Amino acid sequence: MAGKFSAGLPMPSAFHDAPELGFEIPFGTSIVPEYALAARRHMYEFGTTARQLAEVKVAASMNARHNPNAVLRKTVTVEQVLDSPMIADPLHKFDCCINTDGGGALVVVSEDVARSLGRQCVAVRGHATAVKASFGGRNDLTCTAAAQSGARAYEMAGVGPRDIDYVGLYDSFTITVIEQVEDLGFCEKGKGGPFVESGALRSPHGSLPTNSDGGGLCNNHPGARGGMPKMVEAVRQLRGEATPEVQLRDCEIALVNGIGGSIGTRMGSGTVILGREVV
Amino acid sequence: MSTPHGLPAPAPVVAPHSAEFWAATAHERLLVGHCPACDQWFWPPTRSFCPRCGGVASLREADGTGAVYSYTIVRVGGAIALGGGPYKDAVPYVLAYVELTEGPTVLTNIVGIDPDDVTIGLPVRVVFARTGGPEEPALPRFQPA
Repeated sequence: MAGKFSAGLPMPSAFHDAPELGFEIPFGTSIVPEYALAARRHMYEFGTTARQLAEVKVAASMNARHNPNAVLRKTVTVEQVLDSPMIADPLHKFDCCINTDGGGALVVVSEDVARSLGRQCVAVRGHATAVKASFGGRNDLTCTAAAQSGARAYEMAGVGPRDIDYVGLYDSFTITVIEQVEDLGFCEKGKGGPFVESGALRSPHGSLPTNSDGGGLCNNHPGARGGMPKMVEAVRQLRGEATPEVQLRDCEIALVNGIGGSIGTRMGSGTVILGREVV
Repeated sequence: MSTPHGLPAPAPVVAPHSAEFWAATAHERLLVGHCPACDQWFWPPTRSFCPRCGGVASLREADGTGAVYSYTIVRVGGAIALGGGPYKDAVPYVLAYVELTEGPTVLTNIVGIDPDDVTIGLPVRVVFARTGGPEEPALPRFQPA
């Protein structure tokens, strides 16, 4: 099937073989427009503004300016986001993540091995995954499967949104972040716009420091593996090894959430809650 | 094949589970999945069993009306992922979800209106864009009702 709709570009498996695809491809759908459909509906239902979407990018750029390895290190303003070319209303070029090469790795060891290492380690306190289907054609585009994966990860970890010091969020687009902060309980459903507009995402002093490396919007976004850099930066924050300008003073618990597929059609979500281990 | 609206009309991939649906489009009929047991309509029209009650489902003709649930004006075309490729030179065009009067939302295009005038809630009705000859599939798009 892949060759029918993709001229040689391998697509993430979430896009393959869904029964809906044959009824979507002929109408000129693609990734940015699908996220734009979600953004437009979120604006309609909750009054979310283009300026609020833009603040997600502004925060990412302010975090990225301290990261010497970030692809985009220049701070941008809300106006610069709004002045960037429109790709698919209401998403501008600067509402979209970058696409880069890159990679990362995590070493997972037993508690015995961790104790023998003599260095700050990080424990997995909770984790869960969830999928969101199109529900027979009654898909609510204003929420993601993070509502389910997040709730279960919190329960397993025995913590709640107020206990989280640092967050890594898959930021394919600015709307992806706004829906996730709502679904993960950091603010009420529909209030993600005002929440990010308060400067919440800026590290280290925002109320919810997020993607302190600049995230996929500014730092890097290795294909469909955008979740890995989020894990790496969260571990750095918990170990106190992030870039000094964005390092939280006392980071004990971090949450990382990855989104796959498309919030405009069908998607999956994975949540991990990490805790700093006492050495 | 291009339509009077200036949009390309690429032929869909017709699979065994979608053949009945596409055959009906050639005759300008929009079929939607329907469960007679619980009167549930659903999309995509590919299921043999009702996603709600598990009853034996079949295709039933929708009346072809609905309202825009969400939309976007695609300004930069040609994304090769998914279906953007044939639309490279068609920008700006409207990709939208239309909520059918029967309930389900379908991904489609809004035509016959200036893209800047499209709004959520706009009442629309189906219009078929031929992809080939009279017995070939036609794409169900929507225009203001």
